[in-house]
Amino acid sequence: MGYPNKAKWSARPVVGYGLALVSVAAAAGMTEVFLHFHLPLAFNSFAFSAIAIIFWYGGTGPGIFAAVLSALVRSYVFDPEINSISRVLYDLVYLVFALLMTGATRARDELEVRVAERTKELTRANEDLKLEIAERNRAEEALRQSQADLAQANRVTTMGELTASLAHEVNQPIAAAVTDASTCLRWLTRDEPDMKEAREAASRMVKDASRAAEIISRIRALFKKGSPQRELVDINQIIREMVELMRSDATRHSISVRLELAAGLPQFIGDRVQLQQVLMNLVVNSIDAMKGVDGTRELAIQSQRADDDQLQVSISDTGVGLPPQQADQIFNAFFTTKTHGTGMGLRISRTIVESHGGRLWASGNSPRGASFCFTLPVNADEHMSDAHS
Amino acid sequence: MVIGKKANMVAIVDDDDLMRSALQGLLKSVGLPAQAFGSAEEFLKSGQQHQVGCLVADIRMPGMSGLELQAKLNADHCRIPTIFITAHGDEKMRMQALRAGAVEFLTKPFNDEALLESVRAALER
Repeated sequence: MGYPNKAKWSARPVVGYGLALVSVAAAAGMTEVFLHFHLPLAFNSFAFSAIAIIFWYGGTGPGIFAAVLSALVRSYVFDPEINSISRVLYDLVYLVFALLMTGATRARDELEVRVAERTKELTRANEDLKLEIAERNRAEEALRQSQADLAQANRVTTMGELTASLAHEVNQPIAAAVTDASTCLRWLTRDEPDMKEAREAASRMVKDASRAAEIISRIRALFKKGSPQRELVDINQIIREMVELMRSDATRHSISVRLELAAGLPQFIGDRVQLQQVLMNLVVNSIDAMKGVDGTRELAIQSQRADDDQLQVSISDTGVGLPPQQADQIFNAFFTTKTHGTGMGLRISRTIVESHGGRLWASGNSPRGASFCFTLPVNADEHMSDAHS
Repeated sequence: MVIGKKANMVAIVDDDDLMRSALQGLLKSVGLPAQAFGSAEEFLKSGQQHQVGCLVADIRMPGMSGLELQAKLNADHCRIPTIFITAHGDEKMRMQALRAGAVEFLTKPFNDEALLESVRAALER
């Protein structure tokens, strides 16, 4: 395979041959200097150096020319009395050296071509990789968006199931506010208005309206779409808020709610809305499991500190329990035992907990019912993934 | 309107703290003493059943409901005139309450005059 001569001055052969001449002349000149100072004959060394340089930078032609010229200069300038056999042997050495240099420059040229080809291949591969990465990033973003949409749909669906309860929770403080307003007017419209009592009634009204606004605000946050918001959260506060929203649903089905929340649990970085969604899904499931069950209906929510800097929350009920022989499938997407269920609540809940660095699992209770437990690391900011759910 | 004072007190049983405060304030504005309880169990435990002239109770509460409380009081021969206030009123529940002897069945948010009239009627029984 012929490789192009990649010598630097291959485009200008005249330059190459001219330099060959100059370099051999320089070698001869250096040798003369050595001889002048009675130093050993060093023409061979200088000549070989010159030949090597010319082969490398000038190309094969100029290199051979330098080798021939050097052989002639050596034979007829520095060693004219040399016998013919010695002359032939020296010429042979120059020839061999020239051949070696020819091979070396060919190998160099071949290497350069291969390097250029390989570089071209790598550049192409790099471009392809960049495109693939960009495509993958787009796909991951689309997946994240889908997960966020699915989670929001899950929240909306679950909130829809709680409509009656949510309406009740808002109605309570509004009813109290109406009564307090009437009371305030009664105190003011007396023959001798009682300003102190009227003020107290008005203060109660403010409290009533504030509670209604707070409940609406919490409901609105649950309906909101958006990317996860990391903030310092208190798990007990989240539990209490969700229980408040769903308490009337529990009461409607004669379910008592028992909270055993450990005091002094550390706060951690997490997404409040997502964690509320987990609790909402698990509590709604527990309530559904207890509807129509005879006997005690109790929902117990417990929080505690677990090992290895973890918090553990458990939601236990006295309902129908886990589906027999399918207990390991309940966290699968689209698995549901409800006639109206989407089958995504537990799946999404597990995804949310795992994105916080935790774990969610279920177990049966004795004599009946089920418990859903999840852990959350206290240093969640080191564990929270970008997975949106 | 100021209702003439009787020796009887009004008992309020509701799990919602804001509603308890509102009802107590309303009854105080017409000169009626009232005592509030957070649950039916708390009321029964207090032993006030026989000192109370009228009971204003929520229907849906954690634990014992208002209707269950009424049934318990009836079973204990402690027939306190009862006014039910509820956010979940339906006709079936209303009939059940009235058949069991309730004075009135009001849906939240209720008219304060309607409540006070019912309390007056209950206290005069």
